[in-house]
Amino acid sequence: MVSPGQAAPIRPEILGLYRALLRAAREFRDYNVREYTKRRAIDGFRENQNLTDPESISSAYAEGKNQLAIAKRQAVVYSLYAPKVKSIMELENPADLIN
Amino acid sequence: MFEQGRISSVNSVSLSINGKSFPSLRMRSAPRFRVSCAAKPETVDKVCQIVKKQLALPADTTVTGESKFAALGADSLDTVEIVMGLEEEFGISVEEESAQTISTVQDAADLIEKLIETKSA
Repeated sequence: MVSPGQAAPIRPEILGLYRALLRAAREFRDYNVREYTKRRAIDGFRENQNLTDPESISSAYAEGKNQLAIAKRQAVVYSLYAPKVKSIMELENPADLIN
Repeated sequence: MFEQGRISSVNSVSLSINGKSFPSLRMRSAPRFRVSCAAKPETVDKVCQIVKKQLALPADTTVTGESKFAALGADSLDTVEIVMGLEEEFGISVEEESAQTISTVQDAADLIEKLIETKSA
């Protein structure tokens, strides 16, 4: 929902949002959520990169901002319940598991 | 090891030519050169590698310090991702304004070296 009278976001703002989303992804300690957030951000921005009319750009941008807020909140929630065991994808030496 | 040097500032002094010589002035008037070294070759190489990986360029593509991201086929989203990749590789944090100005491999390498320097200072 875009409030009337608001100008469409300009390129630096959009790139700033993209960067913020990628940074937010890094905050997750869970490998799966982190990779998903990163991938979803990349896919989302690529999908909408050719929009031209200001209204759809604004609504896409607003949705991006909502998602950013969600990601930031979830990063905090996840960190409260972080498991001690890391995902196997992050282990440097998976062979260590077999001891 | 040969390092690239760049002359960044020259203090030029003009001497009056009227037959008189001022020995003390002449000794003080030698122009001073401040040489600022460009980023280390290893840093530039690492940046090139990361750029190639991000843009999925074939391994034999020539990427040098002068290469512009746009010329290699990167759009602005790719540039953001490249900068994020560099942050993770070098353990630095690039702020928004600096990140917007990066357009060549050399820009990135220089900024990285500067940030590493201020971090360890």
